[in-house]
Amino acid sequence: MNTFKSIFTAIAMTGVTFSAAAIAQDDSANLALSFTGIEEQQGAVMGVLFDSEDAFNGKGAPTRMIMVTADKAEVATQFAGLKPGRYAIKTFHDIDGDGKMGTNPYGMPIEPFAFSNNAVGNMGPAKWADAAFEIKVGDNAHSIEIK
Amino acid sequence: MTNLDRRQFLTTSLIAGVAVITPDMALAGATPPGWALGVADVEADVPLEALKLVQGKVPAGLSTTLFRNGPAKFRRGDSAAGHWFDGDGLVRRWHVRDGKATLNARFVDTPKRRLETKLNAMVQPGFGTAQRPGSVVNGPDDTNAANTGVLVNGGQLYALWEGGSATMLDAETLSTQGPKTFRRDLKQMPFSAHPRVERDGTVWNFGGNGKSTFIWKLNADGSLAKAEMVALDRKSYFHDFTMTARHLIIVLQPWVQEEFKLPLSTGMSWKPEMGTQVLVIDKDDFTKRRVFELPAFSFFHLADGWEEKDGTIRFDGCLEANPTFGQTAASALLRGEHIKAPTPMLTQIVLYANGKAEMKATRTAAEFPSSDRRVAGQARRITTHVTGYRATPFPHAIARWDWGKGRDDKHDFGSHQLVEEFLFVASGAGESDGWLIGTTLNLKAQKTELHLLNAARLSDGPVATWQAGLALPLGFHGTVA
Repeated sequence: MNTFKSIFTAIAMTGVTFSAAAIAQDDSANLALSFTGIEEQQGAVMGVLFDSEDAFNGKGAPTRMIMVTADKAEVATQFAGLKPGRYAIKTFHDIDGDGKMGTNPYGMPIEPFAFSNNAVGNMGPAKWADAAFEIKVGDNAHSIEIK
Repeated sequence: MTNLDRRQFLTTSLIAGVAVITPDMALAGATPPGWALGVADVEADVPLEALKLVQGKVPAGLSTTLFRNGPAKFRRGDSAAGHWFDGDGLVRRWHVRDGKATLNARFVDTPKRRLETKLNAMVQPGFGTAQRPGSVVNGPDDTNAANTGVLVNGGQLYALWEGGSATMLDAETLSTQGPKTFRRDLKQMPFSAHPRVERDGTVWNFGGNGKSTFIWKLNADGSLAKAEMVALDRKSYFHDFTMTARHLIIVLQPWVQEEFKLPLSTGMSWKPEMGTQVLVIDKDDFTKRRVFELPAFSFFHLADGWEEKDGTIRFDGCLEANPTFGQTAASALLRGEHIKAPTPMLTQIVLYANGKAEMKATRTAAEFPSSDRRVAGQARRITTHVTGYRATPFPHAIARWDWGKGRDDKHDFGSHQLVEEFLFVASGAGESDGWLIGTTLNLKAQKTELHLLNAARLSDGPVATWQAGLALPLGFHGTVA
């Protein structure tokens, strides 16, 4: 119970910190993120936002986590208080709602996935260079087609 | 190595070098036209056409459809597929009814074909084709050429390839309906081009080679009965498998995948010192398995097997001394070159209950083996096969090997005809009571022909021959429905 409480507090605190940052800093950025082309309208679009190539390649922590209910062909979420800079997103449609990217018995992805800029990979994730996009001070919008 | 040995070795190598790589022109000459027509490109789908009966008389009451798949587009812009197995699948429908025959053919509309059409370049990697700029591979079906075989199960026609999903097609128009997912978690699991069908219509198949293979069982109504991974002791390449009524038989040739590389064939090595293993798996319990050891051979195709009362298992295959054909000769075909590879020989493999195994060679060159589907899993006498390999890389004759008599009944179509797989259509109860239906590419006429032969008397030649209005490149595997 205590553990649960402390996690809850930490999340709440984090939220507060981000909000405070958004209000306090004029040079912060907001991102309106939309996902289109959702064929099976169930489960959730899950993803991660990275602020560096290292983090994108698994050598660092993601900046934000993404989880949006996939109940329509097009769904959206937003982030506030981001530091301006280059970002990239990895995302997949968790159709069965198990929180994991589904794979077949040979380990091939079987749930739709996508990257920012709709970048495509080649036998693996897209490259940072193709997926990275600029987030500037103020409001930004980015759309990713899930397929 | 002494000087003499060394000189002899060098001389032999040089001669071998000269003998093996011979350009198309030198081999085929001006007449008959070059065999390269057998691997030429088809630019568009073939609308329904009535075929011209050029010889013979159509047996009354015969009604059958031969579906056949095969690669038919290898070159785009300045680029070409690097291997015969990597062209786009063209499914042909040869339909005979009321004494008349028709043909329609359609390319399977795959992601690979769509991408390559857009780029006007062959870019997707394959069995022997390198990946080129512009390629997009995010799953096995992105490279699916859907070009090797067909299956009709539960009323659905499928185009098959060995590394990805079966592709559903409309059985009349041949329009593509999309990849088949038998169960959600089995999306993009490979469903090979060589399923085997029991007498009651139950289908068994495998998918993928390596440290494991995936075994499929489909009911006759098209539903999924079983789908399980089976571990293998060696990462052998196999294109086909076989079975008896009770067992699955996986032949593990010593052509093994040493590393994952594209194209796939470049990661595979021939290691004859390993010998060939035959893995026998109980259909009802995949943990019950036996391994038999045989001397090294390579192969692409096997025929149905059966089991005798004392537990002896027999099946036959078209065995090659080494995999030169798959490694280099099948690539060279697309460049118009004929690399002489070891001739596939019809051989019976016998697995005894005491664990011993032996091979019974026939001295008969053979490929594309087939048999009467009504005796699947039972002792049978006959294996139908193409034969007559000589000046060109392709066979010129069709034959039925009689295991009882130990000889072939054969019809040679002549050096101007390249012969494709023939299949049996029953008209009576026995293995010889019926017709063989199949196609040839007539190099003189520059047309593809459909033939019907009396299965009991192949040496009489075709009972009826129709000619299509065009030449189609040689196909791989078909089914009659």
